[in-house]
Amino acid sequence: MKIRNKPDGVLGIVAMASIIALSLSGCVRDGAGQGDGSGASPGLTDTAITLGVTTPLSGPTAGPGTCTVAGLAAYFGAVNADGGVEFGDGKTRTVEIKTYDDVYDPQKALSNFQQMVSDNVFAVTSGLGTPTNRAFRDAAISQKVPQVLVMTGDPLFSNREESPWQLGFVPIYENEGAAFGELLAESGAQHKVAILYQNDDYGKGYVAGFKEAIGGAANVSVVGELTYEATDTSVDAQLTQLAASGADVFFNAMSITPLVISSLQKAQQIGWKPSWFLPSNTSSPTAILQPGGAAAYPGIYTVSFSKAPQSPAFAKDADVVKFLADLKQYGNYPDMPAFPHCMWSYMVGATLEEAFKKMTEPTRDSFMTALRDIKGLQAPLMLEGTAVDTTTDGQPAVSSVLVQKYDGRGYTTAEKFG
Amino acid sequence: MPAFSTVLENKSTRVILVAVVAVALIVAPLILPAFVNQTLVRVGVYAVAVLGLNIVMGYTGQVNLGQIFFVGLGAYVTAYGVNHDWNIIVVFLAACAIPGIVGLLVALAAARLGGLAIAMVTIALPIVGVPLAKRLDEFTGGSQGTSARFTDAPEWSGLYTDQWQFYIVLLVTATAFLLGRNLVRGKYGRAFGVVRENEAVAASMGISPYRTKVLAFTVASILGGASGFLYLAAVQYTSPETLSFGHSIALVIAMVVGGAGSIAGALIGGAYYVFVPQLTNAIDPSLTTISQGLILLAVLFLLPQGFVSLPRVIRRLARRRPARSTPPGNPPQNSPVHHPATEPAREGLEKTERQDRS
Repeated sequence: MKIRNKPDGVLGIVAMASIIALSLSGCVRDGAGQGDGSGASPGLTDTAITLGVTTPLSGPTAGPGTCTVAGLAAYFGAVNADGGVEFGDGKTRTVEIKTYDDVYDPQKALSNFQQMVSDNVFAVTSGLGTPTNRAFRDAAISQKVPQVLVMTGDPLFSNREESPWQLGFVPIYENEGAAFGELLAESGAQHKVAILYQNDDYGKGYVAGFKEAIGGAANVSVVGELTYEATDTSVDAQLTQLAASGADVFFNAMSITPLVISSLQKAQQIGWKPSWFLPSNTSSPTAILQPGGAAAYPGIYTVSFSKAPQSPAFAKDADVVKFLADLKQYGNYPDMPAFPHCMWSYMVGATLEEAFKKMTEPTRDSFMTALRDIKGLQAPLMLEGTAVDTTTDGQPAVSSVLVQKYDGRGYTTAEKFG
Repeated sequence: MPAFSTVLENKSTRVILVAVVAVALIVAPLILPAFVNQTLVRVGVYAVAVLGLNIVMGYTGQVNLGQIFFVGLGAYVTAYGVNHDWNIIVVFLAACAIPGIVGLLVALAAARLGGLAIAMVTIALPIVGVPLAKRLDEFTGGSQGTSARFTDAPEWSGLYTDQWQFYIVLLVTATAFLLGRNLVRGKYGRAFGVVRENEAVAASMGISPYRTKVLAFTVASILGGASGFLYLAAVQYTSPETLSFGHSIALVIAMVVGGAGSIAGALIGGAYYVFVPQLTNAIDPSLTTISQGLILLAVLFLLPQGFVSLPRVIRRLARRRPARSTPPGNPPQNSPVHHPATEPAREGLEKTERQDRS
């Protein structure tokens, strides 16, 4: 048995507290003014602008997280090599990017944000994750720091009234569901749709968008609608029930990779072969469709807005060639991108550059005004028919997506259903 | 160093020192930059969680890998209370009481099990907690989480928000540490120690190991809940990711690195939990996990008793150095009887000494 002697413990506390108190008492608060006196916002000098990214760079989401930095670094690396961006106020500045790892932990994301403020970051951008971005949303609003073009499908970030300093980049879940609904409604033929969705904001968002799009269409009817929980390990019961409805289209708003594969297999086993819709993040040809035996179905549909560098159709595309070269040279990412986030963050770079060119004052206010005034920008790597549009309230920077159909190897844009 | 210790043993000097530190802590946020305040606030948050963990693991020797569950529960209770306009005192009491009750119920069952079986039960808590938080979305806001702002500095105080938060966290953390210190120094602390060393001995001394373990576990849960309250005061947002199992392990690491079975160690553990990710981010943001692992290994190799043993190690080294220059002087201090826990490095030194002598 150990009994700790008193002075030791007190000594420890006193020593610890004194160290903290002494070592830091030298610093004196100088107010919030970190600008250089010319009225410019923090993070913006006459020659450079500093952007901050907090994103998961370790842990289970490190793959996509690393991509959100790599694409951005690739884009601005190439821009800086050409001399920088000519801003709307006439000065040419280079773009510096500071990255912070948040391990998909909200608390660390907030900590990183506070660090960025003290590191004089002009704006936070490109970071991945709904909870992590939400964790410092309030702080960003109260300190008037732009938190823009972040990678989350959460519509809150695109609501101008509630999020005056925010803007999402990727399409919200509703956009994806709606794109498929519209295609179906335009097909003219009679369709019976079975819906299975994840019982949370993710699944509900997809279904809401889809239902709104088929709202006025007489040729589409929903014949079955079931849910599953994100923690479920099997949806066999739901599939059997939906198969009995005789639907010829299956809208599956599912975010769990192994569940999608097993559903593709199970539906074949019970002899139900409808056309499928899958969300953009669970429709990978190699990781999901091939192991699931998707070739057996009349059609597998998903949505996208970016060119796929791994697809042979785009191998010689000028955007793709430049993107891959930039990614290798400036993004510290020598491999073929495994996640679409690499392409998305590259487009984020292009969108930011457009806003920089338009901002007339070196302030965050002017930046937000410029950023919210981009329309019809065809960023590199964007598919023909999609564009950046930041002018609509309630919509993220990219809200136009194209329905893609699986062709046995990769995806091609589907003009019409069937 | 010895002279410093003698001064400290004088009670009145100690009181004065504590008073000086207290004043320093009260004045500090007014002059420190915002980011330092915000960082110290987070240190306070996790120090309370580590303190709870230290009471059940460090002092009572029961492996608890579920502390983050109680932190998360406290945070959710706080968010719910704040969003339903409860009085803030009520919110705080509920944030301590509800995790405390849950902890008590779990402990009543878990403390019947011995050793590693308790660890298994506690692992289950965060693993169950994450999906639970996602599904009970009327209370928790589902996977999008929930935010609650109640720690913005009020107008009349004339303070910045980070300063206001600092005082809230300082108040709760200081109280928690004072209570924790009194608990482990008193009758119950001795009972914890006996139960940790040998349950049969404890029983023969009239201490019920079962009740002692339940008590330690419940106190840890209450402190976890208080830490959850502070988490929301500092972060103003919580989501299922807050409860993730990995954070529970990180808390255990922080406790061990700070110093198991030590009150000051809990404070250092909280600081470790907050500072190391910031430090590794500054080194290279894409290598954080590797550099954190290296720091952890280095600390455990150099200070196996945790950071809290640093003054002791320094004192020992300081005592040994003069002894080496004058070998015959002070032999008892170097005899292994006084230091049964000899590390390899020490043996090496003694060998050289003997060679010197011969």
